[in-house]
Amino acid sequence: MIELFDVTKRFGEETAVDGISLRVESGELCALVGTSGCGKSTTLRMINRLIEHSEGEIHIDGQPIRRFEEDTLRRRIGYVIQSTGLFPHWTVARNIGLVPRLLKWSPERIESRVDELMALLGLPRETFADKYPDQLSGGQAQRVGVARALAADPDILLMDEPFGALDPITREALQDELRELQARLHKTIVFVTHDMDEALRLADKLVVMDAGRIVQQGTPLELLHEPATPFVESMLGGDDRGLKEASLVTVGERMLALGPRLNATARVHRDATLRQALAVMFREHADRLTVIDDEDIPVGELSLQRLVGNTRHE
Amino acid sequence: MNERGVPRRANRAVHRWRLPLTWLALLLVLTVGMAELEGVFRWIETDSRQVIYDRADFVTLLGRHLLVVMVASLLATLVGVSAAIAVTRRAGRDFLPLVAQIASMGQTFPPVAVLALAVPVLGFGTLPIIVALLLYGLLPIVRNTLAGLQGIDSSILEAARGMGMSRGQVLRQVELPLAAPVIVAGIRTSVTVNIATAALGATVGASNLGDPIISGIVNGNTAYILQGALMIGLLALTVDSTFERLALRRARR
Repeated sequence: MIELFDVTKRFGEETAVDGISLRVESGELCALVGTSGCGKSTTLRMINRLIEHSEGEIHIDGQPIRRFEEDTLRRRIGYVIQSTGLFPHWTVARNIGLVPRLLKWSPERIESRVDELMALLGLPRETFADKYPDQLSGGQAQRVGVARALAADPDILLMDEPFGALDPITREALQDELRELQARLHKTIVFVTHDMDEALRLADKLVVMDAGRIVQQGTPLELLHEPATPFVESMLGGDDRGLKEASLVTVGERMLALGPRLNATARVHRDATLRQALAVMFREHADRLTVIDDEDIPVGELSLQRLVGNTRHE
Repeated sequence: MNERGVPRRANRAVHRWRLPLTWLALLLVLTVGMAELEGVFRWIETDSRQVIYDRADFVTLLGRHLLVVMVASLLATLVGVSAAIAVTRRAGRDFLPLVAQIASMGQTFPPVAVLALAVPVLGFGTLPIIVALLLYGLLPIVRNTLAGLQGIDSSILEAARGMGMSRGQVLRQVELPLAAPVIVAGIRTSVTVNIATAALGATVGASNLGDPIISGIVNGNTAYILQGALMIGLLALTVDSTFERLALRRARR
């Protein structure tokens, strides 16, 4: 659990972060979103003391972070940055084993941990262990970055625009992987991004920042339903935010389970998002879809009215 | 390692080191066998009775020359690299412009002038030339170490600190290894230049490969000058090509 109490950071005259309070529960992925210069990265880096906060208190599991020695604190917190920051003169395996080595684990334990992480992140040992970072693609390098951050099994992971430099396809693939990883590992993650779609996809809790302050925080759906200010609304894409909401809800949540008339020919999977269902309707010129499960068996029906959340007429 | 692997590997090593080895062989042949070339030098220098420099044998001169350059370069490397490291730390950052300036001044100050100033204080002999070479050789080392350290991608250093490496660990495990090729290139320039400059030591009584040259100039004996110059040139080439070899090996990892 990470707690910020009234935290302020000043660089000389300038106030980068202005009295923010925030609580990230254990196992929660909290996304800090905002335009560049809004203080989101500064906030993140105050948590591992790469930047010292000027006022207020930051607690990790109830303990003020200033009570820990900097290096000890950082070895307990995974850190992933956009440009990966991999050491170019070290092999992939050595890069991943960095923090365990700092913690003086035995060589055998480090080796087996590195193996485990490479498997976890889909980096076959035979192919990648002895490669150098400049021999990797952007996506592979960032996987190594994540593996390195996870190496000593920290409870907390700080991620600073980790996928910002990747092409859209790789970015989405890595977002999916992070979601799967998080479902298994339940780390407490603070994730900085300027990409609202990314934040909506990944976050349990979304924090919108502007000019060093928190403008609004809540779950993605809360923000989409009730953006507190025009700024949050524009961050969420204005009118487009309806579609963003549609991509957060699955067909299964809105469908009418196995209705009487399953005569719709167009089909959509139960786990697809409403946005995808809408796209199918649009493409097939249909206002009704048959919902199917993994075995292609119809399990329900989704009408356009249900899709948009209007159930009065059924 | 299999039985065939050993000679093949050794073979490749010899092949890679061919250039430095060639220069070294030439240098050694000349050191021992200068007298054998008497005919050639007599053809060049027809006026003098004596055409092979013989006031000291070339082995001794080469040894002294090497010693002076090695001591001076070692000191310059120690001082230069530590100074550059110190001013790139947080505490020493204020001194960065000063150190950069002093290093540049060391280079603009002609070694002859340093010798002239140093002799009254340090007396004749080896000491003034070592001081002159130390000052003269400092700039490329300081400049390259600074460039090497400052050229490291800042995100790498941020990651290193963010992962919980101490400042010392970052310096030893990340900064110095990454800056090493550039630092070594600076040392290479410094040493090579100093091998030539060290000849000046002969003017203040530090006997080395400069002796035949100075004596040749004083006596109008071209053969002496040529012998000193050849030896110094070959020594510089040997050392320079050795550094180049080392740099290539580093680059290949």
